[in-house]
Amino acid sequence: MISLLQSEWFKLRKSKFVFTAILLGPLITFFYALTLQPDKFGFEKIFLWEFLIAFTTLLYALHFLPLTTGILAGLICRYEHQNGGWKQLLAMPVTRNQVFLAKYTILILIALTIQLLYLLAIWTSGVLKEAEEPFPMMLLWKSIFGGWIATFPLLALQLWMSMLFKSFAAPFAVNVVFTLPAILAVNSEKFGPLYPWAQPFLMMYVSGDAENDIFFVPWEQVLTVVGGSFLIFFFGGLLYFRQKENI
Amino acid sequence: MEYIVETHNLTKRFGKEIAVSALNLKIPKGEVYGFLGPNGAGKSTTLRMLLGLMRPTAGSVRIFGRDLKKDRISILRNVGSLVESPSYYSHLTSYENLEAMRKILGSPKEKIDEVLELVHLSKAADKKVKGFSLGMKQRLGIAMALLNDPKLLILDEPTNGLDPSGIIEMRNLIKRLPKEKDMTVLISSHLLSEIDQVATYVGVISKGKLIFQDSIKAMRKKAQLKIRLKVSDANNAYRSLLAKGIKTDYQDNIIYLYEQSDEAVAAVVEILVDEGYSVYRVEEEHQSLEDIFLKMTAGGDDR
Repeated sequence: MISLLQSEWFKLRKSKFVFTAILLGPLITFFYALTLQPDKFGFEKIFLWEFLIAFTTLLYALHFLPLTTGILAGLICRYEHQNGGWKQLLAMPVTRNQVFLAKYTILILIALTIQLLYLLAIWTSGVLKEAEEPFPMMLLWKSIFGGWIATFPLLALQLWMSMLFKSFAAPFAVNVVFTLPAILAVNSEKFGPLYPWAQPFLMMYVSGDAENDIFFVPWEQVLTVVGGSFLIFFFGGLLYFRQKENI
Repeated sequence: MEYIVETHNLTKRFGKEIAVSALNLKIPKGEVYGFLGPNGAGKSTTLRMLLGLMRPTAGSVRIFGRDLKKDRISILRNVGSLVESPSYYSHLTSYENLEAMRKILGSPKEKIDEVLELVHLSKAADKKVKGFSLGMKQRLGIAMALLNDPKLLILDEPTNGLDPSGIIEMRNLIKRLPKEKDMTVLISSHLLSEIDQVATYVGVISKGKLIFQDSIKAMRKKAQLKIRLKVSDANNAYRSLLAKGIKTDYQDNIIYLYEQSDEAVAAVVEILVDEGYSVYRVEEEHQSLEDIFLKMTAGGDDR
């Protein structure tokens, strides 16, 4: 299994697009953060950290994170779809479960990396803007970790779609179709908590009233919406891949 | 005889269409088994089932004496394959392609240089596969198949896209492997001439059915020159010859002689005349392997 992970990462890192895709969200966050002027919004500088986090989350968690994971999910199957890679891979001593799990694991590890780079982007921009100490580490960890968890079901569906479609564009289009309504969903009290694509934002958005929870949303929501959609998408994709005949 | 591959009533159905029908392949150890059949006869489907890429509708596969369904992983550890068009990652160099596989197989790194050398790709080791010719991709595919030192090598139309010198090289390589590396080789082709040059054992498939399976010698025997005798009361004439200790074949009122020397033919004719049979015709019937193959694959049109 470890060797399969190494092989997957080896193939992926040789692709030009991967690092661009990984850096895209954090870099845009960084430059966006630099342009933000808290006084224009009537904030005091003492809350600069909170201000930066709140404003960048909107852009990053709502759009760039889900879109980037979609691109990466597409990339991780792209090289198998081209030139008969699937049959080469599956004729080796590996099971389909292992292949699916290896690809999924690589994806969630990359998502974690992107989250950490986002953290770095916030910190660097804050320091450059001379934000006052202390850096709200606890708050941000919660946000980084929660956002990461929220990408699990998204990545599972994206992997499924990218295994299903031979073309790179089709799964990406599916992803965009689901991602765009998230901005409407987060504004809806009723629909927002139920919509998987809204979860990265909801779980990253720093809200004061959730001090006691581990994440910024109630546990029930994490378990049912994130956990539930994860189970459906993950096992849906896995079953599809196991049944796939025409390789 | 020890069989490396044995299938039992292996069948694959796609909807209503039967692609492979109750196949009983037997591939003896250490042979180069030529799997021969016209395009669309079910060769690739069979090979895919042997590799576990496709599930059989019915029947079973045993490789190295173990059930493929139960021991797929441990079996595949000792199988190398190139099925249909060569598979590769075009954004990687040939070395990197092999490295991506090596990581999974756990073979030593030196193995990569060794197999590249074997297929004469050492010079192109650091070139991206994107720019390769079909022949080079084919060689890379064979290098990939050899990376894990397989005990069973499965090659689907291995000379596809190779130039004449490449084809000869490939044939020599395939012939060498069983002796030098203790390998059993299964190669498929729709060209008899291809199989004829390398195979020691042949299986002919047509419309999903295995219509011939034996050593290439036995197949050649079928293709040999035959002497046809047309005589009066052929059935009794055949018996009389048999009584005199002369072995012949009898089919549709025609007697076929095994011995073909002038003396043997003359002796047979003499006996027949002595016994009072009229000899109408003594003819030579010539059949090439190609004729045999065509006759085999044209028949069985009963679906």
